[in-house]
Amino acid sequence: MNTGGLINTKELQEAPSQTDAELQKATTPSQSISKPDYAILEAQLDAIKSEVKGKIGAEDAAYIRRIILIQRICEWSGRILLMLGFLQPVLWVAGVLSLAAAKILDNMEIGHNVMHGQYDWMNDSFINSKRYEWDIACDGASWNRVHNYEHHTYTNIIGKDRDFGYGLLRLSNDFRWRIKNLWQFATYILLSVMFQWGVSYHEMAAERVFFGKKKNNRKNQVTHSELKKRFFSKGARQLVKDYVLFPLLAGPLFLWVLSGNLIANLLRNLWTSTIIFCGHFTGDVETFNAEDCKNETRGQWYYRQALGSSNIEGGNLFHVLTGHLSFQVEHHLFPDIPARRYREMAPKVQAVFKQHGMHYNTGSFWKQYTSVLKRIVRYSFP
Amino acid sequence: MQQFKPAWRDGYYRAQVEAVRNLKSDMVEVILTPEKAWPSHIAGQHIALTIEVNGRLTTRVFTVACGSSFHRETKNIRLITKVNNEGAITPFLSSVTPSTWVNISVPKGSFTLPNTDKPVLMVAGGSGITPFIAMLEDAIENKLIHRAPIHLLYFAKPNEHVLQSELLALQKRTNNFTFALLTRQKDGDVEAHLSHFADAHWLVCGPNTIYEQVQKVAKLVEAPLDSEHFAALPTVNIGSLSEKETFSLAHNGQHLAVNNQKSLLSQLQEAKQPVTYGCGMGICHQCQCVKKRGVVRDTRTGELSDSAEQLIQLCVSQAVTDLEIQL
Repeated sequence: MNTGGLINTKELQEAPSQTDAELQKATTPSQSISKPDYAILEAQLDAIKSEVKGKIGAEDAAYIRRIILIQRICEWSGRILLMLGFLQPVLWVAGVLSLAAAKILDNMEIGHNVMHGQYDWMNDSFINSKRYEWDIACDGASWNRVHNYEHHTYTNIIGKDRDFGYGLLRLSNDFRWRIKNLWQFATYILLSVMFQWGVSYHEMAAERVFFGKKKNNRKNQVTHSELKKRFFSKGARQLVKDYVLFPLLAGPLFLWVLSGNLIANLLRNLWTSTIIFCGHFTGDVETFNAEDCKNETRGQWYYRQALGSSNIEGGNLFHVLTGHLSFQVEHHLFPDIPARRYREMAPKVQAVFKQHGMHYNTGSFWKQYTSVLKRIVRYSFP
Repeated sequence: MQQFKPAWRDGYYRAQVEAVRNLKSDMVEVILTPEKAWPSHIAGQHIALTIEVNGRLTTRVFTVACGSSFHRETKNIRLITKVNNEGAITPFLSSVTPSTWVNISVPKGSFTLPNTDKPVLMVAGGSGITPFIAMLEDAIENKLIHRAPIHLLYFAKPNEHVLQSELLALQKRTNNFTFALLTRQKDGDVEAHLSHFADAHWLVCGPNTIYEQVQKVAKLVEAPLDSEHFAALPTVNIGSLSEKETFSLAHNGQHLAVNNQKSLLSQLQEAKQPVTYGCGMGICHQCQCVKKRGVVRDTRTGELSDSAEQLIQLCVSQAVTDLEIQL
């Protein structure tokens, strides 16, 4: 990963949908936006947080347990329906959808949020950030290190947050253009299709476990051999479960179940990838440089979180299926507040942003998604 | 799994609440039916009880206030506790409805009736009466009490002695058990009553003050002493934060002195202890661990933790009392 020119791409806030020309213009370190009063911003956002924290209780515990129950029902009915496909193909289709829904719920509303520690206060050893293991190829502990620690602490700091572009895509002028960026739209599609494997491989790719030059200055708490072991064991477990064990259990219906599982995994990958890209790589999302987070106050950290993420508008079911990552701004500000609470926090956060003249990045799914696609295409070129 | 078996948790036993009764104004009795697999207790032992309070699983330790014979016959056990209105669990106990499922641990502790031919002196303070009731029940049931006499000194505030009728009933069943209901205001200090029992094996259960007095005399007269004492809730003085105080931190069988000025994480790191960590600001939960006992302060909000077992993040926690954690 080239982290050479650490240039800040602050973009004009008044123009929510920029043209390519405008994006290009805005690549010098900008003094265009007046900075908020960080101390006031901190106090206001802390107040929103503590107000909601006071309300967290039995309702939230019941909610996550209910979601887990629904997820289990979806998963098992999905697996059973897949085997009934020979009676009526439409049952198979229902099975695929049900299993995909189960995997999406498991990854987004349950896995992602539980592993953020949002439900650790319950003291329940199953619904717990250290114990929960999700139905995805990525080892939970690896994800915790890369996502919970790196990405959420150093959000969008080029060189520190390796989630920005995942080392595959050039999404800002912070990175030097290379020839491979010409076909990065195809890379993006491939990444979306294989998303669970991308997430799983992410930490090892960054550590250069298999390819590339190893960086000497990185302090690791995990050895490379441990990383490899966890990568292969968790990956193998997922492969065996979906493509050997359950198909074998179906006997003569082996192929029905195998293809059903494959499609369910694919649907989940496309969905999670799309939601995550919409939360992080819309046109207006800003990047920062390492200087920005030196001796950073909590207020400055809040500011960086706020401008590094974007929301998607939608209905109730949509929010649940995104794991409330449709409230990515609130999630980045308050990563360990139970995600269902972001709904009531959002209007208050928006009001605070408005007061400070900060851009509250939100829009419909299609608006945000188009903006992501534009960004990927735009930075394919020098 | 929990859909079929409410409150099923790996490593815990389930128990169903049979009844909840208020004994005195601030004492509550809870009858539980543990599941069959629960290994019965020895009279005097305690269990950790976990109930859900506003969505949060909360655990406190309680002495089983009945003998194992009672458990054998009725399939029930009972707990008796003083209600502490500020407490995390006891104020909620009286509103737990019968047939609720809760979790209990295996019986623990070695505070049991000693195997001795000497006379036994029991000294109870307040709700410290509970293990003695259990021991006496079993001792009489198993005819152990005929070996040597047992005398109980029961200290409590005026009119706050509980289970008097049970003590009378126990006394009726044997000539070898006697008891005295005392109040420190009226009957003087604990020490004054001890001198007559120098040749006995002493057992004491109650608040720290009583324990300290008994221990002092026991040393003088060289009486064997078993005890279980509760230091009530650790006294926490937030105003004293500016003063550096040192506490002991137990983890994985090791002990470390920590102060209340720096985060636990930085002190563990300085002591070169193996601890995973991440952001250092309470976001990433990498340094999270289980606190077994003690109180910590959240450096972000100043909030004090519960004193029982719970998850804490080392990077935003400072010691406020002695601590035990599991790394």
